[in-house]
Amino acid sequence: MGLKRTLATLAAGAPTPVFAAAGLGAGAQVQDLRLHHQVRLVDTPSAASILLVAGGIPDSLAQSLSRLHDTMPHPRCTAWWPLGALPGLWLANFPHHVAIDHNIPERLRAIHGELVNGQRPSEPPMLADEDPAPWRGIGPYGQGGTGMTGGTPYGRPMAELGPDRDGLRLDVLPLNVGPFFPRFPAGLTLELKLAGDVIVETGIPVNLFRDSDQRNLRGDKISPFTRALSEPVLVSELELARARAHLRWLANALVACELRSLGLRVLRLATTIGSGEGDSLHSLQRVLGWTQALGWSTKGVGRVGADKLVGLGLGPVARASGLAEDVRAEDGVYRDLGFEPIVQSEGDAAARWRQRLAEAVQSLALAARAGDRLTDPGGVVESPHGRLERTTTPADRLLPLLPGLLHEMEWGDAVTTLVSLDLNLQETAAVEVVDAEAVA
Amino acid sequence: MILLGPLGVALVVFVAAILAALLLRFSGDLSRGPALTIPERAPFAGGEEPLMHAWNRYHARYYVMALIFLAFDMEMVYMYPWAVVFVREGGVAMVEMGMFIIVLLLGVLYAWRERAFAWA
Repeated sequence: MGLKRTLATLAAGAPTPVFAAAGLGAGAQVQDLRLHHQVRLVDTPSAASILLVAGGIPDSLAQSLSRLHDTMPHPRCTAWWPLGALPGLWLANFPHHVAIDHNIPERLRAIHGELVNGQRPSEPPMLADEDPAPWRGIGPYGQGGTGMTGGTPYGRPMAELGPDRDGLRLDVLPLNVGPFFPRFPAGLTLELKLAGDVIVETGIPVNLFRDSDQRNLRGDKISPFTRALSEPVLVSELELARARAHLRWLANALVACELRSLGLRVLRLATTIGSGEGDSLHSLQRVLGWTQALGWSTKGVGRVGADKLVGLGLGPVARASGLAEDVRAEDGVYRDLGFEPIVQSEGDAAARWRQRLAEAVQSLALAARAGDRLTDPGGVVESPHGRLERTTTPADRLLPLLPGLLHEMEWGDAVTTLVSLDLNLQETAAVEVVDAEAVA
Repeated sequence: MILLGPLGVALVVFVAAILAALLLRFSGDLSRGPALTIPERAPFAGGEEPLMHAWNRYHARYYVMALIFLAFDMEMVYMYPWAVVFVREGGVAMVEMGMFIIVLLLGVLYAWRERAFAWA
């Protein structure tokens, strides 16, 4: 056996590095891939050999997917996991993709093995290999011009001067981050201006999942919160789903803090926990509190005053700032169960994770007591992200607050803040799909 | 080696070093893959294209902290000769150094109040 073949065999046996682009209805399924040791979800396409596109992807994101694809090193492959969604126009850009629908970790591993053993050809680039603009200054030999070196290095103009918070005039760098930045919710693109690592300006983000043909994006699973808008749903099912959603968020937050092992433990808990098993969360609360696993990076970060959130129905975010807003408090079924909203007072990222953990414990207790009680479909539901209605979702009301919230924030704190807000842009699309079907 | 003499040995070592450097240079060229394309070299921003070049001037806010460290670090230079004469001078030297340290401490407290130790 030659050296090259030996190395290829060893590489094929290693966990498959996958960069995942999760579309509508695919967030939980993609997150669950972390539980399989054959797959390693990586944070950048440069570290991946497979680009996994899962769920419904709006056509407006086709160009972003092409950029992600071309950033991957050879050998590379694109795998599409439809999860019930119809193929979008973006798929036309990926003629060599592999469609996978079951045994996902094993299929990904097999593709990786074929790539490194040379049995599957590496996918060619999609984008042209040329600079956006030539690196050339104003002089006859391409020298001179504005900026540090003159010209437009690597085809991009140099940053322009802008006022600094210390009264200086320094370079301000415009930067768009998203829509598949692993720490942000899928579909969120932030238009930023940075002075060093301080955000000096943020545009109001656009929800790309809202302006697309939602029926094509429909996935296999509809969340019980979306169903509860138009049909009676078991309270126990709703509350168990809420507890699991909060734990899934916590698992993601821990991964964002590079506490991956703890995140994996919480994710495992999120997939297996049942009604009335709140005791297992108490030990988790103790571990997180005692080790300060999230405390140091979240305390005092992303503080939102209650006055900015009044009436917005932002669920755990509002309740962590001291507002007792909860649709369930008005519901007779929940009143019979003795439900009272839990509130914190600090309103920072630390309060928000404590809030969600406390609400997960509360939801498990409610689910155990609920028996066969059903919700009354009144067109309004308290989802894990806040007040969900047919016309608006918590994300719609939270997105306009982001520019003010992120202003003058350092990049690391901004990411921590965004993670703590638990934005879900896909709820909008899910509601519109259900509505469209109801009308039909 | 004896035949070559010291100058000859130096010459052989020099030529061998040049050859080794060239060998490393060309073996690096042979072992590397094809050059990266422009999209492969682009920095990752979640699927968005960079708008401007990332070479930019920004405020290194920790510079005040660095300057204060340098200033107080240099004060240690005064302590070395003091340590030499401390035993001979006795309590007077101790009091003098105590006064010096107190003045320094006041300087640290002032810098602290002025938020010179804040990173950002």
